Amino acid sequence: MFLTRSEYDRGVNTFSPEGRLFQVEYAIEAIKLGSTTVGIKTPDGVILGVEKRVQSPLLEASSIEKIMEIDNHLGCAMSGLTADARTMIDHARVTAQNHAFTYDERIKVESVTQAVCDLALRFGESVHDEEAMMSRPFGVALLIAGIDEHGPQLFHTDPSGTFVRYEAKAIGSGSEAAQSELQDKWHKQMTLKEAQVLTLRVLKQVMEEKLDQHNVQLAQVTKDKGFEILDEARLQAVIEEM
Amino acid sequence: MNSFVDQFSTHSPTAQLKRAQKLIAAEEDDYSDAAWGSQAGFGGMIKGIPAFKVPAVADPTAFLRLHTDDHADPNCRIKIQHGTTTLAFRFKGGVIVAVDSRATAGSYVASGTVKKVIEINPYLLGTMAGGAADCQFWETYLGMHCRLHELRNRERISVSAASKYLSNLVYSYKGMGLSMGTMICGWDKTGPAVFYVDSDGTRLKGDLFSVGSGSTFAYGVLDQGYRWDLTDEEAQELGRRSIFAAGHRDAMSGNTCNLYHVKEEGWDFIGNYDISKMYYEGPGDVPGAPGGGYGYAIRTEGRSAANPPPS
Amino acid sequence: MADMVSIPHSQPQQHQFNPYTENGGTILAIAGADFSVIAGDTRQSEGYSIQTRYAPKVFRLTDKAVLAVNGFAADGNMFVKKVRQRLEWYRHAHAKDMPIRAIARLIQTMLYSRRFFPYYVYNILGGIEEDGTGAVYSFDPVGSYEREACRAAGAAQSLVQPFLDNQIYFKNQTPAPGTSFPGHLSLSTVLSLVIDSFTSATERHIEVGDGLEMYIVLAKNSPSIQSLRDIRGMSELTATEDGERVFVVRRDLKKD
Repeated sequence: MFLTRSEYDRGVNTFSPEGRLFQVEYAIEAIKLGSTTVGIKTPDGVILGVEKRVQSPLLEASSIEKIMEIDNHLGCAMSGLTADARTMIDHARVTAQNHAFTYDERIKVESVTQAVCDLALRFGESVHDEEAMMSRPFGVALLIAGIDEHGPQLFHTDPSGTFVRYEAKAIGSGSEAAQSELQDKWHKQMTLKEAQVLTLRVLKQVMEEKLDQHNVQLAQVTKDKGFEILDEARLQAVIEEM
Repeated sequence: MNSFVDQFSTHSPTAQLKRAQKLIAAEEDDYSDAAWGSQAGFGGMIKGIPAFKVPAVADPTAFLRLHTDDHADPNCRIKIQHGTTTLAFRFKGGVIVAVDSRATAGSYVASGTVKKVIEINPYLLGTMAGGAADCQFWETYLGMHCRLHELRNRERISVSAASKYLSNLVYSYKGMGLSMGTMICGWDKTGPAVFYVDSDGTRLKGDLFSVGSGSTFAYGVLDQGYRWDLTDEEAQELGRRSIFAAGHRDAMSGNTCNLYHVKEEGWDFIGNYDISKMYYEGPGDVPGAPGGGYGYAIRTEGRSAANPPPS
Repeated sequence: MADMVSIPHSQPQQHQFNPYTENGGTILAIAGADFSVIAGDTRQSEGYSIQTRYAPKVFRLTDKAVLAVNGFAADGNMFVKKVRQRLEWYRHAHAKDMPIRAIARLIQTMLYSRRFFPYYVYNILGGIEEDGTGAVYSFDPVGSYEREACRAAGAAQSLVQPFLDNQIYFKNQTPAPGTSFPGHLSLSTVLSLVIDSFTSATERHIEVGDGLEMYIVLAKNSPSIQSLRDIRGMSELTATEDGERVFVVRRDLKKD
């Protein structure tokens, strides 16, 4: 499939004659190897859900961290090379705190997403005389969930630095099946509870293992409580409701 | 290849040019390409602090002192607000933080409503003595880093770590004219904690501190009434009474007293008390107060021929 | 940390560097329940000579915020220019006008970035908060700030502020038996107080006079608009449809 690209898929900032950046496209491919991640927006808040791939019974599932807090009103779920996401999320956290420091207000969801995407584009050769910061594009996609003056929002970012707002979005290996399921089941006036259940149902469909409270993780951003990761007891309750 | 060498050289023409560029860019253009993006002018800031501009003189510190320090020259143009009494002490029920609210510029009362307790976050308080802007800015900045610590380490920063962060920060500016004397107060895994940090770089852990021009008066009352097993009400009253004493005897302190109590779940704002009112009427109907004014003349009214009851 | 401070080595150096002067004048701001009034005189002087009779010290930043600057006029004008630049960048980045609370914090960081080479400027920021209340923020030259109900700064600060303490905070007044002081002053009362402050300051301070500019910021649908009906010399400066409205009233002060 990629046979003809050998000349142009080396440099991260070399376009092919057809106008493509292959390294960026390959980075987007890397996400399709990642575990499935789902985000759903409701009028009351945003739900994020991830599949944790527990490869070994000796692995401590609680140490897998695929949903992270950016600030009290912002959360983030990832799929792909999760190590890359740490850099991006730390950047998002610093940006959010810098904004709060300089403007004494919470940063907007779109602004923090924009900041993450600015970072995603900084791969390649250095522009000025500074050292190049990154040698390759990030191999991770993020679902950024948050609440601001425009209400609950869900953004999707990819390695090309593009970001788009979604009502509901699935990324990762099972994303195609998951996304069509979301398209069928999602409706505008979903309650938070319904969204939690739908997130798990979608994950269950694409997961190979049997879904339980150890191999999935749910988080939500609500107006009252902000970002929170659901503990095992609350997760168990949602699973039972499924 | 040369560019690599240049980066570490201090004498090459490139290095000198770079330094010159850096100087010009300090405030003017150094917002970099991120200026139009989500960072909105953050390009020139490292960790949120704008790059500081320094005058092009041989001794920038002397320049600053010439124009701002009102001890050296009362007629200097830029008057930075001064004068204060602040105190904080640790006891079994947490930490009491009490401050006055007066800011003076020379002998003028620049403000009587200054908030000298800086709410770093819901469980950390800092106090303000010395340069108002230095305290406000750096303690807010500290708050930002405490939050980042919390996000990165999934636990709250200890009072010890937070105060050390601040002390290291101001130490890096030592000799440049910062002026702050602050107590960082909170409750962490080790229980209630108070640290004194100042712009010389001093950092002290302790049970009881008072800072500012009125501190000697506050210490007089505080030391006399202090015990570890004070009740919450007794402790709050002691804080209030000590600030009253300082406001009463120190001309550079006064107006009102702000009182905070740090408990295990975070801090509480207890109240704001007018110091003149406390002289005549006391702090009002608050737990721990003995009732009646704190003033000597009020307390002894009608008890001697020299101070007869009002007719 | 230390590398944030760029200390010059190869720059031309001058000893006894004195880049500051004092240009006189006074500014003042008062916040009401749903309005804010920000005023300043227009005289600019150096020493005993008057440089100009019309140098504005009060500037509209947005429809919600007005900034008054006093001290060294060159620093003041440059500072306002830079604040406006940052407001524009913010608008491009976040697709909204900066709220006044955010402007206040921004001004702190901008002033503090010159901690070691201060702007010789006393700032007072007035306007309408996101919740629709009138706000006044006052600053010292290196950025310490506080929200207040009223504040005077500049040459006649020590003449005007005690008057405001008495008339706005009712300091050293006792209400007549059976009555109480009003919780909030009306716009017409505030405007009279501002005018009286400046005419009196003009009488007793040589650096105050020539002209008076009063900016009035009204919250959305503020009923206070009624008291602006028959104000002489007023013009509207509102630029957006957000709801807040900005007016300016220009008056003469004595020119001797």
